Amino acid sequence: MIQQSTQPIIHFQGIEKSFGGAKALSDVSLTVHRGTVHGLVGQNGAGKSTLIKLLAGLHRPDAGQVEIDGEAYDHLTPHLVESLGIHFIHQDRLLVPSFTVGEALFLGREPRIPGTPFLDRRQMQRRAQEVLQRYFGLSLPNSALISQLSTAEKQIVQITRALLDRPKILVFDEPTAALVKREADLLFTLIRRLRDEGITILYISHYLQEIEALCDVVTVLRNGRHVATKPIAETSAAEIAGLMVNRDIGDLFPIREKSPGAALLTVEGLSATGRYRNVGFTLYRGEVLGLTGLLGSGAKDVLRTLFGLETAEEGTVTVAEQAPWRASPVQAARRKLALVPEDRRRHGVALDLSVSENTTLASLPRFTRLGLVDRASEAAEADRLITRLQIKTAGREALLRTLSGGNQQKVAIAKWLSRHSDIYLLDEPTVGVDIAAKVEIYALIAELAEKGAGIIVLSSDLPELIGLTDRILIFFRGEIAREVVSDTITEDALLAEVTGSSEATRYVG
Amino acid sequence: MLVDTALLVPASARADTPSPQKTTVSQGLAGIALRGGALAVFVTVFVLFAFASPIFLTPFNLGNILAQSAISGVLAIGLTVVIIAGGGNVVSGGIDLSLAANMGLSAAVYAALSQAGQVDGVAVLAALGTGLAIGAVNALAVTWARIVPLLATLAVMNVVGGLELVLTQNTVIPAITPLLESLSGSGPFGIPALAYVLLGFALITAVVVQATPLGLRLYAVGEFPEAARASGLALKRFIAGSFLFSGLSGGIAGILSAAYLSGSTTGAGELLLPVVVTALLGQVFSRRLVPTITGTLLSALFVGVLINGFQLLNLSSTLVSGIQGLLILLVVSATTLLRPKEG
Ligand SMILES: Nc1ncnc2c1ncn2[C@@H]1O[C@H](COP(=O)(O)OP(=O)(O)OP(=O)(O)O)[C@@H](O)[C@H]1O
Ligand SMILES: [Mg+2]
Repeated sequence: MIQQSTQPIIHFQGIEKSFGGAKALSDVSLTVHRGTVHGLVGQNGAGKSTLIKLLAGLHRPDAGQVEIDGEAYDHLTPHLVESLGIHFIHQDRLLVPSFTVGEALFLGREPRIPGTPFLDRRQMQRRAQEVLQRYFGLSLPNSALISQLSTAEKQIVQITRALLDRPKILVFDEPTAALVKREADLLFTLIRRLRDEGITILYISHYLQEIEALCDVVTVLRNGRHVATKPIAETSAAEIAGLMVNRDIGDLFPIREKSPGAALLTVEGLSATGRYRNVGFTLYRGEVLGLTGLLGSGAKDVLRTLFGLETAEEGTVTVAEQAPWRASPVQAARRKLALVPEDRRRHGVALDLSVSENTTLASLPRFTRLGLVDRASEAAEADRLITRLQIKTAGREALLRTLSGGNQQKVAIAKWLSRHSDIYLLDEPTVGVDIAAKVEIYALIAELAEKGAGIIVLSSDLPELIGLTDRILIFFRGEIAREVVSDTITEDALLAEVTGSSEATRYVG
Repeated sequence: MLVDTALLVPASARADTPSPQKTTVSQGLAGIALRGGALAVFVTVFVLFAFASPIFLTPFNLGNILAQSAISGVLAIGLTVVIIAGGGNVVSGGIDLSLAANMGLSAAVYAALSQAGQVDGVAVLAALGTGLAIGAVNALAVTWARIVPLLATLAVMNVVGGLELVLTQNTVIPAITPLLESLSGSGPFGIPALAYVLLGFALITAVVVQATPLGLRLYAVGEFPEAARASGLALKRFIAGSFLFSGLSGGIAGILSAAYLSGSTTGAGELLLPVVVTALLGQVFSRRLVPTITGTLLSALFVGVLINGFQLLNLSSTLVSGIQGLLILLVVSATTLLRPKEG
């Protein structure tokens, strides 16, 4: 822990912000000190993103002002903020899909061929390669477009973009939500080093262990109000969680009888060049099966293949006693497979439809009578899920666009879990979701398993995997390296397996 | 110095860096097929016409195609810039429906002033000024009054069409000036001067749009405004600028059309459909299925060949319009399906 300097660098004073009639922030005052890592936590919809979007000049406060470096501003613009050396990694990834990685990194401060007004594309490519390699050991082809990158890769590009300009203040809005352990660890090392160089960091996360390990000070927001700001040394994850929800969370994971039934899904000899080799396993009724592995380990590809979003070159997938099939999403849905995709903003929800329409979209047949949508039962189901997952919204008719990031996630999950399926494929089901909602999602998953469904959970959240699943398949370089029974493995041991054993200790923490 | 020390990355981490996701490969293949298909159709149509009509391949006719394409090509390039900055969304994205009417009015202004005895310099400035003024009205309507471009430019189109009627009394105003004569003549290699104007205009615009930071930013503003804004770009300036540019290209096309037809004519509005087809079709020729200047230039020639060939084969102009309408449907659905989505 470094010495906390007393010099304030950002000071929010009496900030108010409403959207329509709903208050997102009320009378928030908060000071961030130079050279510290300042954590910002709160439940989904607490107002964290709104606060930093105010700082970014993307929203205007209704009242109050922001002081930066002793200078008071009542109205910031993105341009001004950038010239003050403040850079952001926003929760929604702001990268142009059809741009190459180099173009996306340098948009707004493009290098020019010396002495000309022309873009220096070669330099953009070279520097992009160089910085991605240096910070994250990531190498992407020059021609790769943003739309072709995985969620984690996009996130890395976004973070790297913020680092290019030698920032004075860096703001992260849930940066690790899309990252696996290894990249997250690289990010933490990087953040500590930046802090030691005197850069101030504002850090939003739902992972309280991250906050404990990384931050010097933490601020808790609840319902748009400032609840507490404490030095991390004087508090604990439990206390922070209590402040966030103002009640006791209880057990994180449901107690569940683990008694798998008949085979439901059998995978044999699945191979695809460069992605995975000879993958085989069986999912049983009533079982929750975990998949995990590093970025590029093949775990995610296998999951996507099961749903027909990617194709295998060899091997078979059999559902119950039916004949093997070449998977496609339509086929998969017919055979009662449901996928909760990771990139839920892109594949999971319709931002311009209402909460209610989104929750029931995937299971419309259930709400259709004589060819017409039965609005009453649709509304009832939506209300049930809103209460159950504590989705913070102005009402079931509010457009999804107006919900906070985490609440959009909850809607996407609600949508698929409300569908009656036999097999659920869940890709990072609790990313970006607060603790209280996690507990509910875990409980929903347990209920589905008890009703006889088979569930495959792909997750890079290791405690979640251990707590939630019966068995875990660990992927390493395209193969199932090991299968473990969840009750018998510790987080450290699992981490060692995931990263390819002892190497792990070299760069963690 | 934060940028200079490397982080400790384990060797294995470097080795198994992931490659872009595979689902997009099929999307990429479809894109390549679309582009290859479009080029193949272009070549096939060209060859078919060559066989079907003895006149088609004559130098005179080819020159005619180039000259005809020059006018709609300049307009389509203006439209392309508006589409880039406004985004490809068919309903809320960038579009300028007033371009053809703009050309008509600018040509009329030019012809009327020449007839009134003004020198070329004045007439040219007035024609370009007319185009720019129309662009400015569009820009204000879209950025200040926040009317969607589709509606704003539709309204402006009708106002401009009305002004042209008032100015010309719905007659043809003949104009013969030294500038028009040299423009309607032929340049080096016997190729019409108008074709050189198109190439020059396309080249300059292509360099700005495809090789400068300004161009890159235009694309960002159109495709993902939130990302552009977060990068510190002033969205409205880019959008307003794109309408000014398209207004200017309307003025330039007005002068070209006065040269091609030796004066102003009625019925400029008929050019709207081919111009929109040209700009939309241009996307098919680009790698990322986005509007590009070079793509628009190619498609201007393609549409020019189509229209000319059909005229030679004596096909009715209704059929030509029908085919153009069909092309719009095809292109819009193909690019909407295949273009990278916001993520
Ligand atoms: N553009 C908007 N229009 C209407 N309401 C909005 C808008 N943006 C945010 N809100 C509302 O403001 C409140 C705070 O949202 P905010 O995004 O700041 O939450 P958050 O703390 O970042 O949550 P999460 O952890 O889910 O990201 C929410 O109730 C949300 O619905
Ligand atoms: Mg948020």
